[in-house]
Amino acid sequence: MKRLQLQRWSSTVLSPRARTGNCLHQQLYTAKLRYQSTASSIQSESAPYDAIDVLEDPKLMSQVRRVHKHKSALAYPSPPVEAATRSAKLAALHARLYLPSRLPLQTLARTLVDASADENADFNNESLATLGHDLLTYYTTEHLLCNYPRLPLTVIFAAMYAYAGPKTLAAMAKEWGVEHAAMPGGEVDPGYLQFQRVEPGTDVEANSDLQSARPYAAQKNWRKTVTSKIFYDDEFGDQIKGVVSTGSGSGSGVTAELASATFVRAVMGAIYLHAGRPAAKRFFEQHFLSRHLNISELFNFSQPARDLARLCNRENFEPPVAKIISETGRKSRHPVFVVGIFSGQDKLGEGAGASLLEARERAALAALKGWYLYSPLNVRVPSSMEEEGAAPWKPVYVDLGEVIV
Amino acid sequence: MPVKGIRTVTAARNGVGAFILQCKRLDFHYCNFGGSSRGMLAFLTQTLPRFAKENPQIEIRVSPRHQKHPMIKGQYINGNEKSICVRNLEPEDILKKAMILKDASGDKLKRTKKPITSLNESVRGIWSPYHGDLRGV
Amino acid sequence: MATSIVAPKRPFLTLPFLLPSWTDSLALGSRRYQSSYRRTKQRLRVKPDASFGPSHAGQDQIIYNPPSSAPTAYHTPNKFLPADDARRSMLVESLNSVTSNVSELPGVYKSEAERKYHLTPSDIEEIRNLRMNDPMTWSRYKLAKRFECSPIFIAMVCEASPEKKQMQKQVLEAVQSRWGVKRRMAREDRQLRREAWGRDE
Repeated sequence: MKRLQLQRWSSTVLSPRARTGNCLHQQLYTAKLRYQSTASSIQSESAPYDAIDVLEDPKLMSQVRRVHKHKSALAYPSPPVEAATRSAKLAALHARLYLPSRLPLQTLARTLVDASADENADFNNESLATLGHDLLTYYTTEHLLCNYPRLPLTVIFAAMYAYAGPKTLAAMAKEWGVEHAAMPGGEVDPGYLQFQRVEPGTDVEANSDLQSARPYAAQKNWRKTVTSKIFYDDEFGDQIKGVVSTGSGSGSGVTAELASATFVRAVMGAIYLHAGRPAAKRFFEQHFLSRHLNISELFNFSQPARDLARLCNRENFEPPVAKIISETGRKSRHPVFVVGIFSGQDKLGEGAGASLLEARERAALAALKGWYLYSPLNVRVPSSMEEEGAAPWKPVYVDLGEVIV
Repeated sequence: MPVKGIRTVTAARNGVGAFILQCKRLDFHYCNFGGSSRGMLAFLTQTLPRFAKENPQIEIRVSPRHQKHPMIKGQYINGNEKSICVRNLEPEDILKKAMILKDASGDKLKRTKKPITSLNESVRGIWSPYHGDLRGV
Repeated sequence: MATSIVAPKRPFLTLPFLLPSWTDSLALGSRRYQSSYRRTKQRLRVKPDASFGPSHAGQDQIIYNPPSSAPTAYHTPNKFLPADDARRSMLVESLNSVTSNVSELPGVYKSEAERKYHLTPSDIEEIRNLRMNDPMTWSRYKLAKRFECSPIFIAMVCEASPEKKQMQKQVLEAVQSRWGVKRRMAREDRQLRREAWGRDE
């Protein structure tokens, strides 16, 4: 496969660097424009100071301005680009994550600026996070679907949430040693994660205006099928939130969890843009896939025996029969029964319980898990075809789908 | 709905994929006048640049602390702080102390009884009296 | 009881009354002075599993001797493997499997009710009429007895009238209002334990 010119793509992230030759352009707009690269750094002493009012108290604000050494830093709501190379925190973070050297510190600084801190889309991490989120969910999905082709959809949603959900990403940002700035601003060290915090007492769940494409979305008590969640909802089976009102500038903040998750996604997107697909995939494998998840603990069955009977019917197996394999203390206070579920001569699963009913339910559940957790040998994911010299593609195992009752 | 998913969070296994050094920041404090800081001053001028270059993951801060003994403080990812007083120590010994702080996980020191801890399930499972080599009577 | 009682292997050696008959022929005195060295060596002389034997050598195979623990969920039963999976042909089932003869094992239920499929649509219509018009007399169990089917089948074909449901609810509330703390907690715990089965906890 032909290698793509990534430098050209990444130039959209650091646009003026690629256009340093355009002197006319620079001279025309020096007074008004913010630059995304130090290549075009113009120490504009006459930068407009009325751009922000971070602090409510004007007296305090004026004091901050007077005391602060780099006055140009206060001109904009997020730290200037040239501050990125001066920040020890940022360089340490870059080294701690073993980020590729092609990913410049300036972009890493940009991933740490949330959209609630800086509304300018050229300086916050929103676009990078969108790309990173798509990559993350794609890699996670293909890993899950190829390795466990029979998983029910609800469990896939749960596993997706466990691997790439906001809670996990926030935990990862914490484990990477990323600290939060108390308040976003130009004078803040760019090594801090900057976002506008939610006012205490606001209901985080309530204010998100849901704009779903689902027909009859207003009917709250209607049943939502699992299949419709693929089409209308997001990767985790949640309803898609409406457009977050960042552009309105109403001072609506984000939670620390959401801001951390956006940062992690933005790092993923930045690696993809600057270092390319192999590096992004390696980063995913090392940081996301290496985390521990026991998929067999994600199941919550309501009637396993009924599901198993339906499954055996669908697959043309003999109907499952529960038989006692061993037991002890039937007439005592603490009996234990070990019940196996058999289909013909084959044992499908077994379970132990304090009553025959419990043992039977557990055995049916074990049998269903044995079905759903099937994993083929020598699994390859579709994105492995992007590597150089990949072997010809063999189709992966595709299952009929979960048991429908 | 036949089966529902249970939402959880994946558990971190530092070192299985990538390894994140747990020491986030090292603060070196010295005094310009005190005699106990003589070794520390030599360390800061001679050894520290190389130490910093070898460990780019650690943010290094050097600051004076007048009329006090020299000291190294380590900040860790789990939020803990560890500090070692390095008064009257030679630069080599101070480097050793800095390495101790660098290699620490930030947790309180505790005795490890098992050589290996793992989140993975045991291959043999947990022994149960109702399974395996059963024999009918 | 008709079930074949099964005892684990390990206590087997420690309990003398479970030892097979050849030990009975030995006098108690001779066992008493048996040297401990020979005794321990004898115990260690365990025959290898049959799947390690020469009959399977020379071909690709998976030896599966499950340990003395509950089976893991990640092990797919042989029947659930797809037809083209290599493990299907390679797996050599352990020969001394306990569950070699399934038909001998006792069932969970005392007797499986025979399914007759004898009810006609007119019968079902009658069931519905009876239950709707006279719910006090014709409960699910009485209907099941009359039509020789299971109460579950009655619940599948018809539903109680709303008045009857309301009445039943009031009766249940009246009964539950007389429960004390202990009974209420025990019932709640039972419900919680029941839900934990589904999560395999």
